[in-house]
Amino acid sequence: MFGVTALLFAALQFLSPEMRASLYIKDPRQLSAMEAVIEKYGLRKPLPVQYGIWLKEVLKGDLGYSETAKMPVERAIRAFFPATLELTLVAFLPILVLGVYLGTLSAVYKDRWLDHLTRFVAITGYSLPSFVLGLLLLMVFYGKLQLLPPGRYSLDVDLLVHSEGFRHATGLLTLDCLLNGKPAAAWDVFKHMILPGATLIYINLALLLRITRSSMLEELGKDYVRTARAKGLPGSLVVKKHALRNALIPVVTLSSLLFIGLLGGVVITETVFDYPGIGRWGVVAAQQLDIPGVLGSTLLAATLFVLANLLSDILYAVVDPRIRIG
Amino acid sequence: MIRNFSTPRRLKNLLALLLTACVWAAAEAQIKNPDTYTYLTLSDADSMDPAWSYDTASHNVILNVYEPLFAYEGSSTEKLEPRIAEKVPSRQNGLISPDGKTYTIPIRKGVKFHDGTPLTPEDVRYSILRFMLYDRDAGPSSLLLQPLLGYPSTRDEKGTANPKAFQDAERAVRVKGNNLVLTLPAPYAPILTILASWAPAVSREWAVKNGDWDGTQAAWLKYNNPKKESSPFFERTNGTGPFKLERWERKTKEFVLVRNDSYWRTPAKLKRVIIKGINEFGTRKLMLQAGDADAITADRSVLSQVRDIPGVEIIDDLGTVQMNPVVYFTFQVNTVANPYVGSGKLDGKGIPNDFFSDVNVRKGFAYAFDYQGYIRDVNRGKGTQATGCIPKSLPGHNPKQKTYRLDLEKAREHFQKAMGGKVWETGFQFTLTFNSGNIPRETLCQILKRNVEALNPRFRIDVRPVEWPKFLDSYRASKLPIFVMGWQADYPDPHNFAFPLMHSQGDYPATQKYKNPEADRLIEAAIRETDLSKRKGLYARLQEIEHEDAPHLVVLDSVAYRAQRDWVQGWSHNPIFPDSPSGSYYYPIYKAPKPKGGAGGTGKGKG
Repeated sequence: MFGVTALLFAALQFLSPEMRASLYIKDPRQLSAMEAVIEKYGLRKPLPVQYGIWLKEVLKGDLGYSETAKMPVERAIRAFFPATLELTLVAFLPILVLGVYLGTLSAVYKDRWLDHLTRFVAITGYSLPSFVLGLLLLMVFYGKLQLLPPGRYSLDVDLLVHSEGFRHATGLLTLDCLLNGKPAAAWDVFKHMILPGATLIYINLALLLRITRSSMLEELGKDYVRTARAKGLPGSLVVKKHALRNALIPVVTLSSLLFIGLLGGVVITETVFDYPGIGRWGVVAAQQLDIPGVLGSTLLAATLFVLANLLSDILYAVVDPRIRIG
Repeated sequence: MIRNFSTPRRLKNLLALLLTACVWAAAEAQIKNPDTYTYLTLSDADSMDPAWSYDTASHNVILNVYEPLFAYEGSSTEKLEPRIAEKVPSRQNGLISPDGKTYTIPIRKGVKFHDGTPLTPEDVRYSILRFMLYDRDAGPSSLLLQPLLGYPSTRDEKGTANPKAFQDAERAVRVKGNNLVLTLPAPYAPILTILASWAPAVSREWAVKNGDWDGTQAAWLKYNNPKKESSPFFERTNGTGPFKLERWERKTKEFVLVRNDSYWRTPAKLKRVIIKGINEFGTRKLMLQAGDADAITADRSVLSQVRDIPGVEIIDDLGTVQMNPVVYFTFQVNTVANPYVGSGKLDGKGIPNDFFSDVNVRKGFAYAFDYQGYIRDVNRGKGTQATGCIPKSLPGHNPKQKTYRLDLEKAREHFQKAMGGKVWETGFQFTLTFNSGNIPRETLCQILKRNVEALNPRFRIDVRPVEWPKFLDSYRASKLPIFVMGWQADYPDPHNFAFPLMHSQGDYPATQKYKNPEADRLIEAAIRETDLSKRKGLYARLQEIEHEDAPHLVVLDSVAYRAQRDWVQGWSHNPIFPDSPSGSYYYPIYKAPKPKGGAGGTGKGKG
């Protein structure tokens, strides 16, 4: 994980202190203070020294201050990550369920209308840029029909969640609203996730669907499936109990990567729908050379990746008992 | 085919469930959220500390929560009205001394901070001292340090604090009875206009209780040039203004202001103001259309997209206090490791370091630019050609000043004279830069390129976008042969344009290495002159020099527009207010059905 941050720091060798000072100097009238800013933030110190200072602070629990988030990095992660986690959970389950379900159906009904339909969905999902789909959905469902607004919640819920009595137990707002006995507010928060969620589902469904289909077709063509059918087992049992389990191994790998990809933040979707997630913050930090912000979000992404790999390994054993851990 | 598995019927049921997921009540109020005004902007704020912030997003909120001594009257950029001062000093009322160095400002009684404590003259004094002595790097403190102390910084070039700064400040800002008394080292004409935007009143008691400077000499150094987030004013406020800051939600880039019901004037009509940063224009536009936003930031290139939205009103032709764009020539280019100057010599493949120090080169470019075409095609016909560095909305602007116009014959003549004829014979090549993503500036560069290259096949100009960090680097090192930038006023006084654009120590000339001693003298005389008509005379001569020397090309005296819902009432335009015309002073604003035959706001007047 720290190797990734060391690599990032190495890449910063190519940026002069003046360029890195641009995070603090926004206007030509402030240029006279350039040297003072460079001195203050230690931007002329050798990069290994700067990295060492940063690492020392991280080990003490201080990830630095993010100029783009206007708060300490650790606080920024705690502020942005729950929103992304919530959106990921809303989008990931349908992606997984629909991807596996439709992929399986597609394989079972190969070359029939259902297969063609699912392939059409996959191609359009794969090819359509997320910002195009997102804006189209926003224009129709919000602009024209005034049904599903962008943002995190409405004005009334904004006041509620910031009121004194509201307990933020989990950081997942839908759940927190329910725990505070406010189902209408929970519905409002969920409603704001419908369009970004739908965008993410449609775009990401394609790959999972295709992988499931290919994997299922491979399994359905194997001898043990023919044997099972020959034994007179019902078709649904053959598929669900025999073929599907074996077909799921590549799906598990892809799913965990997909989950991590979503958790890392989907910047375009977050930008279009004004959704305050970690992806948008990470990109703004990168654009403005907010080094603590970039390093903090990179560290988070690296940590999630390691956890995802661990989860995949555990799930392999669940899906296929032949695989032993350790 | 396998029977009895996951029949299409189950799939149809699933699809039907998805499609019927949302059932909605269609009814909505005619005016959405009638007590709450929502403004969607691009910008992200920096800090709520009045001594720190130097950006329009922060300042827009600050001037609604805090109050300075004075404010501009309506749309005027000349007339002031008292705010926490009781009166505006003038020679007529005797509150400005005959030598122009002493200002006596009576402080209004009966004003309270949001925490209920009364405002005192001592608080006002503390606020001004704190504004000056805080003096963070690249901050606004020099705006008052220069006029009140005679120097722009409390630290020297090495960063060492000047130990006399506190005493100098203390001498300059005193309290006598109910009056604040300012003593300047020399007359400084714009001092009152500066105090109309900067150093609003903060509570000393609140500051000290929350760990900030106690106002004494013993402690000031500790608070000089501090870290932004260490200030208690960073995200909390305690002003005297018509609104209080309920919270600053940095996660969603949102400010929530609530009405101050104990305000010293009649409380505002709006109960709540929400200011939110949303980068994506499409989203801002849809929210305006849906009525979830009452006003949005939108530049001229998207006017056609907002103009015809039902329920949205456009107020156009609003004056500005900015010069944008301006094309600057660098007189002494640093050619060392410079990718923008080609060979670095006048050999047809580059330019030498003093290329633009030749007035004929600069005039060649000046006559090669299509000013009217730019206004017509890029600015959709809005705005007029600038006549000099002082915009139309400020005194000192000279509408009769001679200007350059597109004249390719004259351009050719000047290029043929340049550098004794060598420029014409050998030709040149260099790179023209603009900050990336800025389409109007890109177009400007392309116009210049096309017209100059058309004069002589040996003239070559490459146009290149430069990202802000890279721009800073190159700009500081004087590596940009020509660069295109803008200038926005800190306060509405001609000095705030004359100095940074024409004085040899100004922001741009210092980097351009441009110096005209007569221009410097005129600017220094004008700042000391408190008689407006005499000042105008000095600035008129300055703008003649500007035309003769052509150190830069001023292109556009721009006008702006505002897009708001037609139920917004009470808005008026003042171009000096931060983030105007989209951002506002929210006190007079309210939401009501549009009166028949009238607009919701007034954009007319000097602004």
